[in-house]
Amino acid sequence: MSALSKAMHGFVGRHGMGAAVFIGVAVFFWVIFLIVLPQMAMLDYSFRNNLPVADVGGPKDVYTLTNYAYFFFSANGSINTLDIGVLGNTMLAAIFVTLIDIALCYPIAFILAHSATGVAARLMVIGLIVPFWVNEILRAFAFRVLFGATGVINGIGQSMGLWDAPIDFIRADVALYSGLTYAYILLMIFPIYNAVEALDRNQIEAARDMGASWWRVHWRVVLPIAKPGIASGATMVFMLTAGALAAPQILGGPSSLWFTQLIYQWFNQSANWQRGSAYAVLLLVVCICFVMLLMRVFKVNIGAIGR
Amino acid sequence: MSKATGAGAGTTLYSLFFFAFLFGPLIIMVVTAFNSSSFPRITPWECFTTDWFSVLVNNARLMGGLGTSVIIGAGVVVCAVPIGLAGAMALSELPPRLRAALYTVLITPILIPGVVLGISTIVFWGIVGRAFGEEYASTFYNGIFLTLIGQITFISAYAMLVFSARLQRFDPTLTEAALDLGATPGQCFRKILLPFLKPAIGSAAFLTLLASFENYNTTVFTILSDSTFTTALASKVRLGTDPSLSALAVIIIGLTLIGAMVHEARTRRQALLRSGKPQLSPLYANPVTRVMTHPAGIAIMLIALAGLLVYLGSRHDASACKAGILQQKRAVQEQLLEEQRARIRKLREKAGPATTDAPATNNPSPFGGAFKPGMLAPKEETAPANPSPFGGAFKPNALKPKE
Repeated sequence: MSALSKAMHGFVGRHGMGAAVFIGVAVFFWVIFLIVLPQMAMLDYSFRNNLPVADVGGPKDVYTLTNYAYFFFSANGSINTLDIGVLGNTMLAAIFVTLIDIALCYPIAFILAHSATGVAARLMVIGLIVPFWVNEILRAFAFRVLFGATGVINGIGQSMGLWDAPIDFIRADVALYSGLTYAYILLMIFPIYNAVEALDRNQIEAARDMGASWWRVHWRVVLPIAKPGIASGATMVFMLTAGALAAPQILGGPSSLWFTQLIYQWFNQSANWQRGSAYAVLLLVVCICFVMLLMRVFKVNIGAIGR
Repeated sequence: MSKATGAGAGTTLYSLFFFAFLFGPLIIMVVTAFNSSSFPRITPWECFTTDWFSVLVNNARLMGGLGTSVIIGAGVVVCAVPIGLAGAMALSELPPRLRAALYTVLITPILIPGVVLGISTIVFWGIVGRAFGEEYASTFYNGIFLTLIGQITFISAYAMLVFSARLQRFDPTLTEAALDLGATPGQCFRKILLPFLKPAIGSAAFLTLLASFENYNTTVFTILSDSTFTTALASKVRLGTDPSLSALAVIIIGLTLIGAMVHEARTRRQALLRSGKPQLSPLYANPVTRVMTHPAGIAIMLIALAGLLVYLGSRHDASACKAGILQQKRAVQEQLLEEQRARIRKLREKAGPATTDAPATNNPSPFGGAFKPGMLAPKEETAPANPSPFGGAFKPNALKPKE
């Protein structure tokens, strides 16, 4: 606390009382009312029963575990494989998409940082950013145009005689995975680029001179430098993919369900906010635990994210 | 380009592949906006048309959502930019241990799934509303208010990252020098730090506006019964697709390209001016090319070009071509029908004279004509184009062992 007041004093001395008060109030409001309290409220809500308005706050309004029990066990007491399966599938798919993004973005980030020069590099940066000014929904729509039963790929493939009947890319989840991979590419490239850019090119040349193969240079010299960037990008891509709602709604096949879609159903179709909150808490906890675990394994800390 | 860094044919090839993946879907979507086929596709190409743009503009729900989005976007910029600035300044001043803790707290809204943020926002403000004894029609249950709050929560963090990056390059001795020379701390803040942060304020405002406009995951929960542009768009895509969405993409991509080109012109001009001798550049020395390479000049030219294209597009009439396509389709249908009739006629001739008194031409009787008098006579072969839903299984011959 003394450190805080010392920082505050230094701050007032440098920027004036007005600025200090503004910063204090804004950060306090942001942290307490926008970040901490809403999450607490959601946690609290997830332990309550779904009651009619008249009963809220009455004797029936007690804490309960039914919402969580509903996720783990089905009505007859056996394990609820359906919902747990959806959560597991979502996590696996998010990991899969993250890995594809790492594989796609690492080379391009390296090229951008060390091979491209001048105009080419500038054009590449613009080319990377421009597609992401287009709305997320429209990007998903573009993949639907590509992969639909009468879509472009089926149209071209059939007219060239490669296959006869239209291939159902949407049911096979090809469309969904490509759409998600596409959606968060930018969040992977720039952290890796920032990390790789710091690498001194002489190190690569030295390794080459010593006779290291191309693979070995990347494995032993470039990757260790790129690691914090990859971790940061992977965290963001994983969290956003696991929490994606638009792309699964638009590109998801009839048989596949994303966990966020379950939450959405509890809120908007079943009007059971309490159970929806419980599911949201579960999603959050599972995602955060997973990311923490990976950060521990790869020895990266959260401070590296967003840099 | 040195060999050591792996530059070469492989690099170029990979870059081309990567950018094909990035731009391919967008280009295809843009092309589908001009095809008259009612499902967005390229093959078969029907007619070049600009009608989908008017379909788009006449979509009342989308346009209503656009208004809501603009209101929310403006509100988010006004709130999120100062909050992000405050967060970045707090981070830059705190001692390392506190800074790490605060950074972790402030960065989490970016990492938390948007769905979770949306839910926590409506639940929390619902509780606050109830605590104040408000009715369900009050501010706390207003979609626009809740969306503003929910979006500010995480969009402020984007703004904070932009400001942090800029603040890292700030030289604190500037402030100290000003203080030594007798400026008040408030003057320092207004006259030194804020001007230094000005470019960052611009880009933060742009980024927050874009993020607010684009957001779906949080907004779809917090907007309640209202709808923003993005949620209206999403429900339209989910219900059914037509090329008017491609037309929207054309508009957005067009605006984006204009913005990118003007921005590029601006950075080039600034680099030129900063080099100290802009007169040496042939483009700058010539007054005509100087105006033409000025960002404002480029903006005017591009907007004029876009206006011309819109004008030409609005005059384009595809109805003749569409009528032609319709005619073609009808002709094909007619032909198919004719073929079917011919086939049925042939069948009937084979079945014998008894069927001639059967009603109507192509009889789609569910029994496949099994009850017609002539049908009970043994036949030579089963009909190839039998319209019976049972595939002729109930015909007397069907049960006979085949030869």
